[in-house]
Amino acid sequence: MDNIIKIKNLVAKYDTKIILDNISLSIKKKEIFIILGSSGGGKTTLLKHIIGLIKPVAGTIDIFGQEVTKMEDDKFDKVLTQIGMLFQGGALINSMKVWENVAMPLEQHTKLLPNIIRDLVKHKLSLVNLEHAYNLYPSELSGGMKKRVALARAIAMDPKILFFDEPSAGLDPITALELDELILELKKNLGITLVIVTHELESIKRIADRIIYLQKGKAIFIGTLEEARVENIDEINRFFGWNK
Amino acid sequence: MYNIENNKIIFDNSFLLTDIDSFIDDLKKYGTNISSVQIDLSKVETFDNSVLAVVNSLIKKKYQFLLSEKLITEIKIFDKLISFNEKETVVTSGFENLVLRVNDFFSQITSFIVLSADIFSYSIKAIFRKEGRRKGSIYEQILLMGNNAVPIVFLLAFLIGLILSLQSAAQLRQFGANIYLVDLIVISMITEMGPMITAIIVAGRSGSAIAAEISTMQITEELDALKVMALNPLKYVVAPKMIAMTISLPILTVFANIIGILGGFIIAVIYLELSPVVFFNRAVGVMTLSFWWQSMLKSVLFSWLIVLIGAHFGFNVKGGAEGVGKATTASVVAAIFAVIMTDALLSIIFYFDF
Repeated sequence: MDNIIKIKNLVAKYDTKIILDNISLSIKKKEIFIILGSSGGGKTTLLKHIIGLIKPVAGTIDIFGQEVTKMEDDKFDKVLTQIGMLFQGGALINSMKVWENVAMPLEQHTKLLPNIIRDLVKHKLSLVNLEHAYNLYPSELSGGMKKRVALARAIAMDPKILFFDEPSAGLDPITALELDELILELKKNLGITLVIVTHELESIKRIADRIIYLQKGKAIFIGTLEEARVENIDEINRFFGWNK
Repeated sequence: MYNIENNKIIFDNSFLLTDIDSFIDDLKKYGTNISSVQIDLSKVETFDNSVLAVVNSLIKKKYQFLLSEKLITEIKIFDKLISFNEKETVVTSGFENLVLRVNDFFSQITSFIVLSADIFSYSIKAIFRKEGRRKGSIYEQILLMGNNAVPIVFLLAFLIGLILSLQSAAQLRQFGANIYLVDLIVISMITEMGPMITAIIVAGRSGSAIAAEISTMQITEELDALKVMALNPLKYVVAPKMIAMTISLPILTVFANIIGILGGFIIAVIYLELSPVVFFNRAVGVMTLSFWWQSMLKSVLFSWLIVLIGAHFGFNVKGGAEGVGKATTASVVAAIFAVIMTDALLSIIFYFDF
């Protein structure tokens, strides 16, 4: 059981347009797996399929060794509690304070006492260096801070897999670097598997274990960066600015 | 910059956006006689894209130009870049459009029914089970949708009662049927105006708020975030509103009924000179329990319609901030329409005692 996520022959359609065409891939435990590709190539769609926000037209998705595409909601909820997801804009609940946002999954899915939940929230907020934002509302935060709060919320339940939708988009290089360091720490200290959609070159070079490159819904490459270099695929060479 | 010599407009080496206005004005002086003017751009080396656009369109109008080499190549490139067809390729006939619209309407109705069934089942579950909804959220929603609506509902119900009785009193008085004002105001307030006015105000206040909140959450991916946290948005966001609305709207309606009748009471005493005791006795005599049942049944149905319609338009939002505005407007219009339709239907049913 080395593979934590296994996808077989996944097909996604929007009306009659094919978004994902027969994608198969496996993601190993404790690796940082990067989904990349040209705009409109189906990156976010692939991510949304894995976390069950969209049901596939055909194909199967295994998470923790269980087939999830036809799973009942109650059972899938159990899978979801072991998953964290960081959305592009943070997707914090705007009507709730920062600490309430981070506490939400804990309050809903555990029977922990309120004071313990509060301690856990403080711990997660410290991990992302946002102790001072405890009592603020999301509208009072900057874009980077929102993302960090969202990260704190995503790791509140100590998930086994963490999904990121363009984590460093819209961040300055220094904040992006800090986020990457945080990601590497999460992998090292907590043994989390990370699946990341991004096209920040620097970030990919820093953190990627393996990548999938999507072009017009097809996976034209899956493997490590070194392998990508050896394979010498035109599109990927151009993406990374590698000379042939 | 340029100079005009007889029928020639001669440019120096630059032709920029800032020259265009005066150039066009000067060109207009020649009127429609295009062949009478020659424009010499042979020395122009510095120019803007807007100049390319102007010159390109003038060439197509058959103006006489002398162009520099650089301009000729740039205009060719420019013309090629703008040569794509900007019109929408899918053109549907009127009939096809109608079919599409009818189709869309029915698919909306189906999705509304499915959503309603889901919301009902989650709301009933939420009454008994605390998991999956926020602590104190029902109480918070009752405050928001019920408590905060009290002043406006009171005021409007009072005014409606007052106006309704004033208009009727003038007519009744001519026949000496003063005492029947009591029947009129009590029955119409309790069975019709009370529930309807309250529902319309609440649809405007809270129905719109529900649609706006849910559609914003949809657009900012908050709903997706909830789903990924294994929290059902229907359970977490809609169910508390549904429960709160089912509680608050009937209570508001009871108040509205009483305040409306009070409005009638003031007209009866001041304008028709009925004694308060007579009004009171008559009112109690007219007010049967079945009228109150009607009133409550209506307001409960209205409360469901308001929440369900708000949620429906909220979840089906398309586009960005503009979509939120559209969803909110559509939800209020649809909710008020549904409330009045349902009221009419129920009134007919009750009147004929089906």
